[in-house]
Amino acid sequence: MRPGYTLSDRAVGLLFIAPFVTAALFFMVYPIAEAVRMAFYSYNPLRPDLSAFVGLANFEFIFRDPLFWDSFRQATVWTFLSIVFQTVFGVGIALLLHQALPGIAIFRGLLLFPYIVPTVVIALIWRWIFNPEIGVVNYALQSVGLIGEPIYWLSTPSMAMASTIMLNVWKYTPFVVICVLARLQTVPLELYDAAKVDGAGIVRRFLDVTLPQLKEVLIVVIVFRTIWTFNKFEEIYLLTKGGPGTSTFNLAVYSFEQSIANLRLGVGAATGVVMMVMLSVGSIIYLRVSGFGEDEKAS
Amino acid sequence: MNSQHTRQVSRLPIDRRQVLTGMAAAGVATSTGLGSAFAQSTKTGTVRVWGEPGPYGGVAVAAMNEWAQKNAPGLKFEIESIPWDGVYVKLMTDLAAKRPPSLISVESPIAMQLMAEGLLTPVDDLVDKIGRNRLVDGVKWEYWGAWKGKQYIVPAHHQPHLLLVRMDIAKELGLKDPDTWDWNDLLNAAKTISQKKPDMAGFCMALGRNLCTDYHFAALLHSAGGRMFDAANKFEVAFDSPQTVEALTFVKELQPYMPKGAVEYSFLQVVDAHVTGRTAMSFYWGRTLGRAAEEAKPVFEATEAFNHAANPTTKRRNNWNDFQGWCIPAQNNPFIDEVRQALVYQQTNKDWLIKYCHSLMPNVAPTYKDIADAAELKEHAFYKSKPRTVDTYFRTSLAHSSSTANELLQGVNPLAGIVHGRSVLAQTVQKVVIDNMKPQDAAKWGAKELSDIRRENIRLLG
Amino acid sequence: MTRHEFWTLTRRLVSYAVLSAVTFLVCFPLVWAVSTSLKPKSEIFATPPTLVPHTVTLENYQALITGRPQYFQSGDKQVTSGTTPAQFFMRWFVNSLIVTLGSTLISITISTLAAYSLTRFRYWGRTVVPYFSLLGYMVPSIIFVFPLFLVMVQLDLTDSLLSLVLGYVCITLPFCMWLMWAFMRSIPIEIEEAALIDGASRLQVFWQVVLPTALPGIIAAAIFSMIVSWNDYLFGRVFLNSLDNLTLTVGVMLFFEGTHVDWGLLMAASVLMTVPMAILFMALQRHLVAGFGAGAVKG
Repeated sequence: MRPGYTLSDRAVGLLFIAPFVTAALFFMVYPIAEAVRMAFYSYNPLRPDLSAFVGLANFEFIFRDPLFWDSFRQATVWTFLSIVFQTVFGVGIALLLHQALPGIAIFRGLLLFPYIVPTVVIALIWRWIFNPEIGVVNYALQSVGLIGEPIYWLSTPSMAMASTIMLNVWKYTPFVVICVLARLQTVPLELYDAAKVDGAGIVRRFLDVTLPQLKEVLIVVIVFRTIWTFNKFEEIYLLTKGGPGTSTFNLAVYSFEQSIANLRLGVGAATGVVMMVMLSVGSIIYLRVSGFGEDEKAS
Repeated sequence: MNSQHTRQVSRLPIDRRQVLTGMAAAGVATSTGLGSAFAQSTKTGTVRVWGEPGPYGGVAVAAMNEWAQKNAPGLKFEIESIPWDGVYVKLMTDLAAKRPPSLISVESPIAMQLMAEGLLTPVDDLVDKIGRNRLVDGVKWEYWGAWKGKQYIVPAHHQPHLLLVRMDIAKELGLKDPDTWDWNDLLNAAKTISQKKPDMAGFCMALGRNLCTDYHFAALLHSAGGRMFDAANKFEVAFDSPQTVEALTFVKELQPYMPKGAVEYSFLQVVDAHVTGRTAMSFYWGRTLGRAAEEAKPVFEATEAFNHAANPTTKRRNNWNDFQGWCIPAQNNPFIDEVRQALVYQQTNKDWLIKYCHSLMPNVAPTYKDIADAAELKEHAFYKSKPRTVDTYFRTSLAHSSSTANELLQGVNPLAGIVHGRSVLAQTVQKVVIDNMKPQDAAKWGAKELSDIRRENIRLLG
Repeated sequence: MTRHEFWTLTRRLVSYAVLSAVTFLVCFPLVWAVSTSLKPKSEIFATPPTLVPHTVTLENYQALITGRPQYFQSGDKQVTSGTTPAQFFMRWFVNSLIVTLGSTLISITISTLAAYSLTRFRYWGRTVVPYFSLLGYMVPSIIFVFPLFLVMVQLDLTDSLLSLVLGYVCITLPFCMWLMWAFMRSIPIEIEEAALIDGASRLQVFWQVVLPTALPGIIAAAIFSMIVSWNDYLFGRVFLNSLDNLTLTVGVMLFFEGTHVDWGLLMAASVLMTVPMAILFMALQRHLVAGFGAGAVKG
């Protein structure tokens, strides 16, 4: 019989979970519920007294707005290309870092660095080094002879899209590297030895041993990164503000502009609802893929 | 600390300390007369004042602090400069957050919107104290902001944007006097310069999705005789017109002779392009000359400003004038009384008003006759070296001034602020220059955006 | 040298070469930023651009740290322009610190307590909560921003650091919850049971036995939370107004003044903003990677 177990235990248990429940209600449930509610109202932040219920009018507005669909399409392109590059580079770098070479820890540290750099900082540095007239990138490319005229990295729709993808890849490939590297370190060496005995070369070993082992973690990483990247705001806004024109708008930028620049908080919220629906679809896929429920039984 | 300033200080003919002492002494001398006319206030705190980036806001606030020293010793006026591209959005979020500044120096389109929304206090009594008949010729109090018979804005200054031309290049290539140009002459000049001077663009204006483009394009639109809204007809949208198409076509024709990056350009970059010699001509307010004088003396010496090239059909030479004014938020503002008094103090003090204009020549033009005519105003190196240019900014431009808040000076338009907040004009221009839309289609697109704005804010037109 | 040794050596050299090249490209933006920040104005725009400055000057850093006011030269006189953004840099630094530490403290406290409760006691929802948390974690911050902004308006908390602290709890709490739950689950109950049998109360067990064991997880959660809070732009942009109260990320965007951009100053600010994160990262890299292993991380 444990002294003082029954009563105080239960109390402690509930006491400990109480702060979280309160916080979750105020900081997670409420804002999301409110965001959904606002989607059905018109709301001008300057004149809150004029706010009114408008039913589905906000949704009608965005579904009829060509800019909304442009933003959607651009978000898809942006996400797809970013993920492709992040995955390819991520796996490649992870493979390189997986070797037991002296000094590999230094490389690993430096290559994981981009994650912690504030997006504002990298956006500003990007604007500086990619400045068409006085930036160092154009200077380097021109002096090596790769380009004849300066490239206007942020002035044409396609270049601006490419620049924002580059920034996104730069910043988030470390994630893929970490996850893949962690998985690589658990692959039993016997599998490689067996393959070598069978006479498999480097490429064969990669395709037949490494890749299947990575399949699971890669799927999880890709799904997660897709969910994140689709809804990113700062990486685009701070570099191009969605421009030139509106060619680098994604749904998050669209929502922001509608809310702040156009003073239509309701429309911004409706966009948010659409984003959450997309998110739910992605989450369901993730949960399926990562095997939700198996952990339940284990605990 | 002083060693950090050697670069700047060494160019001064007089010591900085002398300047500041002199300013203070002059201020005290003139203030003692009026000091007793104001009521004493015992409030304490910081009075937030917003202004454009630039020294003149600081000068105005220095004047107000002088008033505060005597009449509200617990208060300190502080200026915060807000970058132009952020003005509209920042102002709106601050107002929505119920944290407005106590005093705002802002361009007329935004002022008009705030005024129509009922967010400002009327200032007719202040106008009387400042002098109702004091305005320079050719302008009215309402240009800065009057709504339903009440004045809400006190003039701070006015700033037209003009055509800046590198006269050394013009002379070299045998171009005729820019003051006589029409749109075709401007286009040909730009073309000639671009062809004969390979490392230089012929012309530069803003084409980014921002306020600067809105303003630059609006002037062209007005010169062509077009408008966004018809003030005489309940502000119906009048944008889908041949004049709009003409203006858009003109911009498209000029584009090949502009710097490649112009589609991203805002205020900053247009000044940059001219001051660093990347363009021979540009549209801009006086700041370009101020900066050139600081950083690129040869460019400064060679550049002159002219009223715009005339539209071939209408012969109009409109510029976009900001008619910048001081406005006082009515709600959540604890310092309304003090701000009103300090404003009157600054506006009736000749020395401070002249210092205001001198702080960034020729960017801020005087609005009162006695200041514009004052001999002291001409005591400035710019006035001496470029009298014609300064005079164009200060005086002769007024005959051609227009504003999106008061199109063709035919009536105050409270929707302009919202139009600029969404960069509708800039987006229309971008549809033509980036997306290669036909000007007619772009005009239709713009007209639709404008009618959405009109419909959503019809209450403002009341 | 045998054929095998030759290939191994070649492979090693190639790996080093590729890793060096990739590391150089990845680190270049920050290296260039440091280089620019140490150059005097004349050298910043000089061609050809130099990686190592010919003249090293600390004037940019001095200007930021001492809050040197800027004087405008207009005509013959020097006039103060009033408050310029650069003068507030140190103030912003402190603000960022306050907000980051405040929200981190709150988040890890709440999540550690809650995680303990969820893994040690049985009640309905004990597995729902972590997954619910994970879902909340995936909601992009753009959806939270405006409802929370309106709450702050009603509570009259706008333009205050407290509003940011609360906002950041909103976005860091979910993942901290998930992370701590995963860690707590992996701590064997036997140690606690031994202590309980010896007569310790539940609270004592928590404080003296469980917490020290869970420390790596707590550190990982704290690091993650600090990075997210320090680097955020969106919340700061919407919640804050006056220059005094801005955080670094929002304030530094104001350096793009109307008259000219001081790239040297801007780069110096970027470097200073990244330094705390870099220190954090280097000192605690190990913990961060361990934290990532507990679940695919937000990016």
